[in-house]
Amino acid sequence: MSVLARSVGNAFRNKVRTAAVVAVLAVAIGLALSMLVANQAVGAKVQELNASVGTVLTVNPAGGQGFEGGGEPLTAGQAATAAAVPNVSSVVGTSSLRLRNGTEAAAQAAAQAATGTQTGPGGGQGGAGGPGGASAATLTTSLTAAIDAGTLGGRNQAANGTTGSTGTTAAQPARSLPITATGTGGEVDSTGKALTITEGTGLGDYTAESANALLGTTLAEKNSLTVGSTFTINNQTFTVAGLFDAGTTFGNNALYVTLPTAQTLAELPGELSSMIVTVNSLDNVESAKTALQSALGTDTADVTQGQNLESAVSSLGSVKNISFIAFVAALGTAGLIILLIMVMLVRERRREIGVLKAIGAPNRTIGLQFVLEALVLVAMGSVVGAAVASFASGGIASALISTNTSTTTATTVGRAAGGPGGAGFPAGGAGMPGGGGFPGGNPLGGASQLLTSVTASVSPGVIAAGIAAVFGVAIIGALVPALLTARIRPIEVLRGE
Amino acid sequence: MIEVKNLVRTFNSGDRTIKPVNDVSFVLEQGTLASIVGKSGSGKSTLLSLLGALDKPTSGDVVVNGVSLARMPDGKLTEYRRRDIGFVFQQFNLIPNLSAVDNVMLPMEFAGVRKAERLQRAKDLLEQVQLDPEKQARRINRLSGGEQQRVAIARALANEPKLILADEPTGNLDEQTGDHIIALLSALSRDHNTTILVVTHDRALANKTDRRFRLQQGRLTEEPVRAMV
Ligand SMILES: Nc1ncnc2c1ncn2[C@@H]1O[C@H](COP(=O)(O)OP(=O)(O)O)[C@@H](O)[C@H]1O
Ligand SMILES: [Mg+2]
Repeated sequence: MSVLARSVGNAFRNKVRTAAVVAVLAVAIGLALSMLVANQAVGAKVQELNASVGTVLTVNPAGGQGFEGGGEPLTAGQAATAAAVPNVSSVVGTSSLRLRNGTEAAAQAAAQAATGTQTGPGGGQGGAGGPGGASAATLTTSLTAAIDAGTLGGRNQAANGTTGSTGTTAAQPARSLPITATGTGGEVDSTGKALTITEGTGLGDYTAESANALLGTTLAEKNSLTVGSTFTINNQTFTVAGLFDAGTTFGNNALYVTLPTAQTLAELPGELSSMIVTVNSLDNVESAKTALQSALGTDTADVTQGQNLESAVSSLGSVKNISFIAFVAALGTAGLIILLIMVMLVRERRREIGVLKAIGAPNRTIGLQFVLEALVLVAMGSVVGAAVASFASGGIASALISTNTSTTTATTVGRAAGGPGGAGFPAGGAGMPGGGGFPGGNPLGGASQLLTSVTASVSPGVIAAGIAAVFGVAIIGALVPALLTARIRPIEVLRGE
Repeated sequence: MIEVKNLVRTFNSGDRTIKPVNDVSFVLEQGTLASIVGKSGSGKSTLLSLLGALDKPTSGDVVVNGVSLARMPDGKLTEYRRRDIGFVFQQFNLIPNLSAVDNVMLPMEFAGVRKAERLQRAKDLLEQVQLDPEKQARRINRLSGGEQQRVAIARALANEPKLILADEPTGNLDEQTGDHIIALLSALSRDHNTTILVVTHDRALANKTDRRFRLQQGRLTEEPVRAMV
C-alpha cells in the first residue's frame, strides 16, 4: 500500500458519487478541450490567412473586376511598372477566360436565335452573353463543368440567355455553367496562394506558351480526365499536366494554363485581367499599396487588399478570442469543481484524517494523498472529456463561428447561405478567379470553409496541452483542501467517542 | 520513563467549564504495566490523549525520557506519535476501506519501513493477536468488533513503541481472547521493556497490572494492586 494506491482506492470509495463527479468533470474538461481545439485551429487558420493574404495585393483594371465592370485592360508594361515599386517582391499576371462546353453552347445559341433576344440584361451582370469587363469572348471546350447549374445557376444563366419576363413559354434549354480558365504567370491561385497540386506536376515555365494545363480535381473527375489525358479549348489540344485542389467546389471547377497561352487563346497578347502583387513583408503592405496605386494611376488600375478576407480574418479573430475565454472559463470551472469536491471530502473524512495523524502520518503525506485522489478523478474526467471533446469540438466550433459571424456580418448572411454552392452567379459571393475575391467571397463563406479544417485538426498535441492545463488547474484546486488537512488536529480521532 | 507534571485539561461547554483532567501528576518507570480505572466520563480518554500528544494540555507537562512535550514543535510531536507511541482507541479507528494487513502496515509506511519488511511484520503481528490468517486481507468493515480490536492492537505495536496507550483494549473481546491480549501486553512490558498504560473496566485485567490508578472527576489516585483475589 503506497500513498498512490490509497488515493486510487479512496477515489473509488463511493462509486456512485465518483461516477457523478467524473461525469461533471468530463463535461467541464470536454468543453475546455473543445474550446482549446477550436482556438488552436482558428488561430492557425488566421495565421495562415494573414500570411497568405496579408502580403498580397490585387490589381484590377480601373472600373472592372474579372468579367464585371468596364475600363481598359492591364498591360505587360503595367506589370513591369508594378514590379518596379519598392518592396514589391513579385508580380504575377493573370488572364481569365470563360469556357463553355462546345455542344451545349451551340444548343443555347440556337435557343436564343429562336426567341430573338440577343442582348443580356446589362453589361455589369454579363455572363455568357457578353461581359462588359476585362475578359474576351467565351471560348468553347470539350470539358463539361463539374457543377450542376442548380437553381442559382439556372437563374443566373437564364438572365443572360433570355429576357426572362418576356421569354417564350417554350421549355428552357438545359443550362450549363461556364468553366473558368486562368492564364497565370506563376503557380499561384487568384489570391496569390500557391496552388496545391495533388497529382502530376506544375506547368514549369509560366511565362512561355505551353499545351499543358492544370485542372481542378472535381473538373477532372467530372470529365474522367487524369494526368496525361487531353482535352480541347477552341479546338486546340491540351494535356493535363497536374491536378490541384483549391478547397472549394467552385474553385475546383477551374483550370490553369500559362499566361501567354491564355493570351493567345483570347487573341489578346500582352493584356492582363489582373495582377497579383506580393509585398516583401506585412509591415510594408500599406505603403506598397499606396505606391502601387499612384504608380499605375487611379484611372487605369484598382489596387485592393483582399478586403473580404480581412473581415473574415477579423471575425475569426474574435472567434479565437471567444474560444480562448471559454477555454479559460471551462478550465476554471473544472478547477472549482475539484476544489469543492475535495473540500467536501476533507470535511467528510475529518475523523479519518485525525486517525492518520494520531498514528504519525506527516501533514505532507496526507496532503499528497488528497491531491493524488483529486488527480485520479481528473484523469478519469479527462479520458471521458477528451472523448466528449473529439465528438463535440467540431459542432462547438461551428456553432461559435456561425453565431459570431452572423452577428458581425448580419447583412451578408442571406447571400452567404448560397455562397460556396451557388458559384454560378458571377457577381455573387464566390468571386471569379482573377477578380481579386476570396473564394467564398464573404466572412461567413470564409468561416464555413474553415470548419472542415477546424474539425480536421483535432491534434493529439493540442489535446495533450489542454489536459496538461487541466491537471495544472486541478493541482491548484486540490492544493487548497489538501492544505486544509494540515489544520485538522489529531484529537479529531476522538470526536464522538 | 514518563513523568506527568500537574497536568490540566479544561473544556468550555457553554458557560460551564469542565476539568476532565485536573492537576494530575505521576511517574511511570520504563517497562511498567499500569491500569487506569474510573467511571465513564471521569476523564480517562482525555488523559490518554494528552499522554499520546493527540491533544495539548491547558497547563502542566508530560516529560518522556527527559523530553518535554509542551516544548515540542508540531513536527516533532508527529514524530513522537509515530515512533514512541502505540495508541489503541476505544473505537478502534481503523481505516475502513483498507485491509487488516494494510492498516497494520500504515504506521510503518509513515516511518519509512521497506515494503517487504512491513508486510512481513504486519503478518507476524496479526498472527500474534490471533487474527485468522484468511482474514488478514479482508477489509476492516467486513470484520467483527473483536477482530477489529485485534487489528487495532497489532497496529499499535507496529513501530515497536516505547509507550502503549490502550483505551479499553479488551472491551470488545470474549474472555479467552481478552486473556490472550492481556498476556501479550504483559509479555511486551516484561520482555521488551515497553511501558503500557491501559484504561479498563475489566477487574481481572486491572489486577494483573503492576500499578493501578483511579480517576475521579479529573483527579488521579493510586490504588494498591491485590495480586490475588
Ligand atoms: N472536546 C471536548 N469538549 C468538551 N467536553 C469534552 C471534550 N472531550 C471530552 N469532554 C468531556 O470531558 C469528560 C471526560 O471525557 P472522557 O475523557 O472521554 O471520559 P472517559 O474516557 O473517562 O469516559 C466528559 O464529560 C466529556 O464530555
Ligand atoms: Mg473513554
